[in-house]
Amino acid sequence: MGDSSKSSLQVEPSDAQARFKMPVDSEQKATEFWLFSFAAPHMQAFHLSWFSFFCCFVSTFAAPPLLPLIRDNLNLTTTDIGNAGIASVSGAVFARLAMGTACDLVGPRLASASLILLTTPAVYCTSVINSASSYLLVRFFTGFSLASFVSTQFWMSSMFSPPKVGVANGIAGGWGNLGGGATQLIMPLVYELIHHIGSTRFTAWRIAFFIPGLMQTLSAIAVLALGQDLPNGNYRKLEKAGDKHKDSFGKVFYHAVTNYRAWILALTYGYCFGVELTIDNIVAEYFYDKFNVNLRTAGMIAASFGMANIVSRPGGGFLSDWISTRYGMRGRLWSLWVVQSIGGVLCVVLGLMHNLSAAIAVMLLFSFFVQAACGFTFGVVPFVSRRSLGLISGMTGGGGNVGAVITQLIFFTGSRYSKETGITLMGVMILCCTLPISLIYFPQWGGMFCGPRADATAEDYYAAEWSDEEKEKGYHSSSVKFAENSVREGGRRRRPSPTVPVEATPTHV
Amino acid sequence: MATAPLLRLVLVVSCIGSSMAVLFSSLPNTLTVTASPAAGQVLHAGVDQIKVSWKLNQSTPASADSGYKKVKVLLCYAPVSQADRGWRKTDDHLKKDKTCQFKVTTQPYSSGGGSFVYTVERSVPTGTYFVRAYALDSSDTEVAYGQTTNAAKTANLFDVVGITGRHASLDVAAGCFSAFSILALVFFFVVEKRKAKK
Repeated sequence: MGDSSKSSLQVEPSDAQARFKMPVDSEQKATEFWLFSFAAPHMQAFHLSWFSFFCCFVSTFAAPPLLPLIRDNLNLTTTDIGNAGIASVSGAVFARLAMGTACDLVGPRLASASLILLTTPAVYCTSVINSASSYLLVRFFTGFSLASFVSTQFWMSSMFSPPKVGVANGIAGGWGNLGGGATQLIMPLVYELIHHIGSTRFTAWRIAFFIPGLMQTLSAIAVLALGQDLPNGNYRKLEKAGDKHKDSFGKVFYHAVTNYRAWILALTYGYCFGVELTIDNIVAEYFYDKFNVNLRTAGMIAASFGMANIVSRPGGGFLSDWISTRYGMRGRLWSLWVVQSIGGVLCVVLGLMHNLSAAIAVMLLFSFFVQAACGFTFGVVPFVSRRSLGLISGMTGGGGNVGAVITQLIFFTGSRYSKETGITLMGVMILCCTLPISLIYFPQWGGMFCGPRADATAEDYYAAEWSDEEKEKGYHSSSVKFAENSVREGGRRRRPSPTVPVEATPTHV
Repeated sequence: MATAPLLRLVLVVSCIGSSMAVLFSSLPNTLTVTASPAAGQVLHAGVDQIKVSWKLNQSTPASADSGYKKVKVLLCYAPVSQADRGWRKTDDHLKKDKTCQFKVTTQPYSSGGGSFVYTVERSVPTGTYFVRAYALDSSDTEVAYGQTTNAAKTANLFDVVGITGRHASLDVAAGCFSAFSILALVFFFVVEKRKAKK
């Protein structure tokens, strides 16, 4: 599962604390989050992972703001553009699943850097395309890099303790998603600079693609050179030293796909994150064509949608953590449902706006809610499973991309619906597909409508993922520690309960 | 006394009238426009030229052009280049119309007609085109038109092949940077394996 089990039991707490600048818990995960610090390994991992993920987003959505040029250069039709938009997010559906498994097996540092470096050629090759099919191919392969989202969340869940995992995941995810907004500003600006220097329109946009490509290459090299999988070291080193048990793919896979909560979260994430991806793909062209603004203005408007991620998604993660201090997991689930549903309503309204300023205002509000919902989702995901955290993060993340594929396929390909109608209908779909959150139930903490079972404990829930032989060998000890550290998910009322005494060692180890 | 509000009303209406959207369907086809490319001819952007000439129709009374002050000639997309491309849609309101996106020339109108030699700009994309000329009045509002094709826009169309924008240096750069990325990854893997062996 990704934790040094035996060695930490033998190390004196004061020794472990002395090795790290930041305060840590029994799994050496940081119990605080210092945003402006680069303290190794925790905060360093944070900055490396969010920035490399940001670069992947910049590359994946580098084409949309330049579409008014690309579509003329390559003689694209609306159908071609729609198909490429779908391709750009569909590659990551399976890549995210594979990434989850890769993280479980070889660690987030190698997994993410390999993926990012293997997809940069697609970004560079965008400068040499000359047809609708080559455009589709480069967008498809570039989109694979969005799978680095999973390694980001996995890495943060490995480095930060449960009380801080929501905010760490939220900021890392949010500042990464920010790339989808920043690129709508960066690309038109870079294009205009190059065009101004002297290139023709149809050459300038090609040269512009080297910027996201370079950003991606350099950030991945930084991850390899400076990053570290776990507080105590990298996977390979720990496995060789016998400090970390190498789990089996079959077991990890089984415990992920049989957990119904993973499937529900995969669906609902498709209607906050998936919708965000869809909007990243269509919003610049939408404002350019409907309101007759120029390329740079359309880019700025589109950028403001993605830029809200600076605060909105982290805000969602932070609020999720804060609500759980009072209301536990039930609070996390309720707030997720409320925020995502409001996002759906605002999406419906956005398609009905015919005035430019009103449309921008609604779009900004919509961006806050839909992105905060992403943050709220990953406040819940780390608790669904301990053994299969990577794969479940991958399933949820992949579900996000599936949502993007479906919404673009139904509403934004071909000329069946006008873009405004498509946006409104997408809002209705968000509302419908957010309802399943009410079906999520944790025996030890409850669900939206039902309270917890009196005899259920977090240890039982997480230990159930391991067989008796595995428990005898102590493989599950990190799950046990995690259960202890997540006692707060029971909410304020449960804290005085003696069900999980934090100081005592679990008796069934 | 009653005339004052009436006058105001007339003023308001005429103001609205002059800024009211001009509809293409309301314009008379009084100009005969000819362009040098033959039907189906292929021109290359940045290289080939089009000679456009326009004059008043034989059948139009000579006094019809008294309001024409300027002629604006445009390169316009044929329906085949507009299909499935909403950003090139034809709209009857000329302000919203996106059919003609490339200006060839704007010249003062003379009753004897006029002509212009246009080098197809490098920014013109690949597509099928025709040429249209609008006659403008003193307030630069369209009052008449003429085009090289028929009303259904099916006859006498020519093709333009746009520049690709690609260069050999870009191809090489893309190849080099891609190779560098892969090599960097391989390098780190090798280093890791060596460290693990130690």
